[in-house]
Amino acid sequence: MTGTAPDLAAGVTGAEAGMPVAAVALSCPACSAPIGDSDRFCEACGAELTPAVELPPPQTATVTAARACHECGGEVAPDGYCTQCGAGAVSERDHFVEEPAPWVAAVCDRGIRHDRNEDAVALHAGAEPGSHAVLVVCDGVSSSTDSDVASLAAARAARDVLAVSHPQALGTAATRLMATARAMEAAVDAANDAVIRHTTAGPGNPASCTFVAAVIQQSQLVVGWVGDSRAYWLPDAGAGQLLSIDDSFAAEQIAGGMSREEAENGPQAHAITRWLGIDAPDHTPRTASVDLTEPGWVLVCSDGLWNYCSEGDAMSALLHETASRTGSAPLDLADGLVDWANAQGGMDNITAALARVGPPTTAGPANPATTATPAVAATPATAAPDTATAPAPAAYQEEGTPDGNVLS
Amino acid sequence: MATFSAEVFQNEFLPDGGTDVHAIVTVTCSGAGEAGQSDSGDAGEIVIVDTSGSMGGDKIVAVQQAAAAALDQVLDGVWFAVIAGSHLPRLAFPVSPEPAMVRMDPQVRAEAKAAVGSFWADGGTAMGTWLRLATRVFSSVPNLAQRHAILLTDGINQHETPQELSAAIEEARGKFQCDCRGVGEDWQVAEVRRIATTLLGSVDLIARPEDMAADFEQIMRQAMGRGVAEATLRVWAPQGAEVLFVRQVSPTVEDLTARRHEVNPLTGGYPTGSWGDEARDYHVAVRLPAKSVGQEQLASRVQLAVGDTVAAQGLVKARWSNDDTLTARIDPAVAHYTGQAELAEAIQDGLAAKALGDTDTATAKLGRAVQLAAQTGNEEATSRLRKIVDIDDPETGTVRLRRSVSKLDEMALDTSSTKTTRVRK
Repeated sequence: MTGTAPDLAAGVTGAEAGMPVAAVALSCPACSAPIGDSDRFCEACGAELTPAVELPPPQTATVTAARACHECGGEVAPDGYCTQCGAGAVSERDHFVEEPAPWVAAVCDRGIRHDRNEDAVALHAGAEPGSHAVLVVCDGVSSSTDSDVASLAAARAARDVLAVSHPQALGTAATRLMATARAMEAAVDAANDAVIRHTTAGPGNPASCTFVAAVIQQSQLVVGWVGDSRAYWLPDAGAGQLLSIDDSFAAEQIAGGMSREEAENGPQAHAITRWLGIDAPDHTPRTASVDLTEPGWVLVCSDGLWNYCSEGDAMSALLHETASRTGSAPLDLADGLVDWANAQGGMDNITAALARVGPPTTAGPANPATTATPAVAATPATAAPDTATAPAPAAYQEEGTPDGNVLS
Repeated sequence: MATFSAEVFQNEFLPDGGTDVHAIVTVTCSGAGEAGQSDSGDAGEIVIVDTSGSMGGDKIVAVQQAAAAALDQVLDGVWFAVIAGSHLPRLAFPVSPEPAMVRMDPQVRAEAKAAVGSFWADGGTAMGTWLRLATRVFSSVPNLAQRHAILLTDGINQHETPQELSAAIEEARGKFQCDCRGVGEDWQVAEVRRIATTLLGSVDLIARPEDMAADFEQIMRQAMGRGVAEATLRVWAPQGAEVLFVRQVSPTVEDLTARRHEVNPLTGGYPTGSWGDEARDYHVAVRLPAKSVGQEQLASRVQLAVGDTVAAQGLVKARWSNDDTLTARIDPAVAHYTGQAELAEAIQDGLAAKALGDTDTATAKLGRAVQLAAQTGNEEATSRLRKIVDIDDPETGTVRLRRSVSKLDEMALDTSSTKTTRVRK
């Protein structure tokens, strides 16, 4: 936790989360002239900076300014509680948002039942809508130590690898796809290294987390995952598609013929079979891709959201229904999805990361496909509509690829 | 420089739908220094002694000695005065036609002791008039930061109406603190307790006149050790919450709830008087709107403020859970002091019923008191109760009222009823 505080404070999250944070102003230790945080030498006196510059202690940036209460808007006292309603201040780690460009945004939230937020999200996006975006979500395994620190480090490490990987110069769509798939493997390697770096030595469960990433580039979507965090393609018209196949006991049972409802509510429903961390048996991501030929939404999320809304169609309906309330700005929509999951009980940490593909939609229930869809039931996972009548999603057939091209 | 600290004892877990949060907050003061030494201003002391006709004989001699013993403890530089109380109280020292006080020094001390030595017993008892005179005497010295009095009586307030006494007590409220003592068995505990409680002081029985001097010396020494002139307990509760009660529970039980004044809409201030190096425990109960299981919030900030400065703060929290093993537990400190507060009430109610001849109520209440004293390990209360009732079974509180009971034993039980024992660690 402490290890992440300066990052969060200096990064994009504080101000956007409505929590003003004092800017971390760095100065040269030799002459006190202002310096940038990536400068290696002082512009004013030429002193070498890298070894000498120290980030301020973790807490200074987070406790200086009076913050607004997330519940009632009152002032938060230095003791960490609201002066009006007594609600505990949400730490930056417990609730943060990212919005690297107006068409890409995410909200990462502690939820209600858990004591800390072990979900993490890291985004990258080009300014031009649809040009290039990276969305990474990691869900720390709550039974392990320091998973909150490890998951954030992992998400950022993977994001950084994928953000600089631009295989657009390469020839065909097929070779681009393969290049992105290789970049995905490199990203997971980097994420896995980050988890191990943040694993506390000694007894106890080592830090571990799931991984899911989506890369949008030149009308192509590539997703890669390890564990049970998910990627969805939710076109404005037509069926929502779940692209990833959970590495979970439940998914194995579904593959073996059990109904999704039964499997996802079974005693082992949340046991994952693959993860990142020092004790991970194998962290090679499985990947899938979709050609983005129509407008819609890419959603990358943790089980804190999909536990309440599992199927592709149900997720699509939820998204459109939420947009009718929040409007269709990605950040507002992600926030609306997180609020909805909290309203269902907030049993787990919740992360929703969204990228808009195609022109922005107007707010409100404009989409005819949406109006025909029944309201999403406020019940867990598999009580979503149509399970009885609709065929099981193809993505859950080990060999099948109708929802997307399973590459590996 | 005095430093305060606050420590909270509570079970923060509430069951689903639970609303009431109880906490014991221990406030500890250290480095208080001596009275009148703080930057805020000087200290003033008034010794008020009953010199009515009933004090004749050995008693007046004992009063002279007790007042002199108290004067010996008043520090040099502290403003002081002595009032001789009857139905027409007089300023015995300093000798002045108008209300006045003087600063203590060795010369003045000798003069004051001489004046006290010439006390004679005469007249009736009207304690309200003593308090009125003390209020005027204190206000004769501007900038007194700390005002404290000792009041001694031996009889019933016969020469004024209860209403007159009440009015005088109200007039003195907040103007000075007053520790009260009754000597012998002819005074009324309830009457004197009213003065002490309103004026943030103690009440106690001095059974024998010859014990007076030691008692006065001890009270005055304690008063001189209170270097923090005035502090306020502040209790914040969130919007929409209700403060059910605020109670001092150690060293004595005092319900502070009605003494609230508004600091701001969400914060009440409760005067606590002056502080020496000591610890006091407060029981705070807050009713919150229930939140859903898993949520947490602050139920109360309990602060000690000196002037406008918050010197210590304890946080009382609430967390809703559906884990019975967490929510069912009652904090030992809360349980202990809840029992001690009920014990004080049971003793006072029992003795009042006994005085009215209501044997059934008296037996039930005192039986309950015996049971509570046993449960909370208050052995002093148990031994005092034993002089009033024969105990058949302390576990069930089965008792019989004793036929012949000494009046002094009853009064000792009454005055000590509010004294609590600390939690057994």
